Amino acid sequence: MPEHCLARNSRTAWRVYDGEAVILLAEDSTLNTLNAVGTLIWEGADGKTPVSALVSRICEEFDVEPAEAERDVTAFIGKLCQRGLLNVAASPHEVP
Amino acid sequence: MDDLSIAIAGLRTAIVTRDREVPELIRDRYKGFVSAGTPAWRLEIDVRPAGSRRADDDVLVSREGAYARYTVSRGDFAGTVDLRERRATLTLGGANEYSIDSFLRILYSLALVSVHGVIVHAASLVRNGRARLFCGPSGSGKTTLARLSPDAELLSDELSIVRISEGRARCHGTPFWGELARAGTHQAAPLGGIYFLSHGTGHVLNAVTPRQALQRLLPNVLFFAKDADLTARVLGIAAALVEAVPCFDLSFRLDPGFWEVIDRA
Repeated sequence: MPEHCLARNSRTAWRVYDGEAVILLAEDSTLNTLNAVGTLIWEGADGKTPVSALVSRICEEFDVEPAEAERDVTAFIGKLCQRGLLNVAASPHEVP
Repeated sequence: MDDLSIAIAGLRTAIVTRDREVPELIRDRYKGFVSAGTPAWRLEIDVRPAGSRRADDDVLVSREGAYARYTVSRGDFAGTVDLRERRATLTLGGANEYSIDSFLRILYSLALVSVHGVIVHAASLVRNGRARLFCGPSGSGKTTLARLSPDAELLSDELSIVRISEGRARCHGTPFWGELARAGTHQAAPLGGIYFLSHGTGHVLNAVTPRQALQRLLPNVLFFAKDADLTARVLGIAAALVEAVPCFDLSFRLDPGFWEVIDRA
């Protein structure tokens, strides 16, 4: 997972207010809101940035230990993938 | 062949039909919104003999192959909406106002997006020259609040239309009613505030941030298409609205005192 890249589902529309994202999914109009850490991951899901770089940023900005951050980020990515918001690829070339 | 036009929120639609009952039905149901002038949209209505189709089925709105062309169907009607051509068709299982009204709500929810407008599950009232939008799902008190406001002009007790241009939002009267069974007045007024309703034991108003307002507003926006581009545009309009207009949670009890807390804010 650390060197995998994340990409936002292109069928989402979103806005960030005060560091927190509001995301609307076209398929079913479901609304998701993310806290500051989740929003950092969401904004970093650009199809190029590896997960390890996002974990490093979270450790710096939120004063979290790397092992804990990686565990939490992995669980969070799993949730967003389940909801159809994120895609994960082994490299930037494979991002759908 | 008979034709007439109705105008809702500044969008005029020519109704074209060969049916003999439909024009009269529309003149009666949408009186106050029947309007002469050059139409922006054209809706062709065809009536087939009534079958066993049901009006309580789910509405299906799906994009056809062509960009900006949608098919709309429910048990009691089938139609198309072409956003590029500004043309819609509607085939009814029988000439009844409920089917026409349901289709018009969908048509306008799609057509308004191109003029930066949305239909919101909200009552709207004009008082002292400014419109107030009272937003919430069924049972939240929209009709009650309209009934408690005899000195305000009704724009709608159920489905309100807001359009925004250059950061200025205006709320428009609609013929889409709820329990009140009365159309709003055909007028528009600057939108002075958005209020998210809940029942309470007193009148309490709390300002909410644009993020909180967007979270509360979006589930109340009438929107059927599962299209990514339209979804992004609807989100953009809703975001522009909550950034342009003060937004509040309003807990109210069953008396007109809520206007005092609104006026004081």
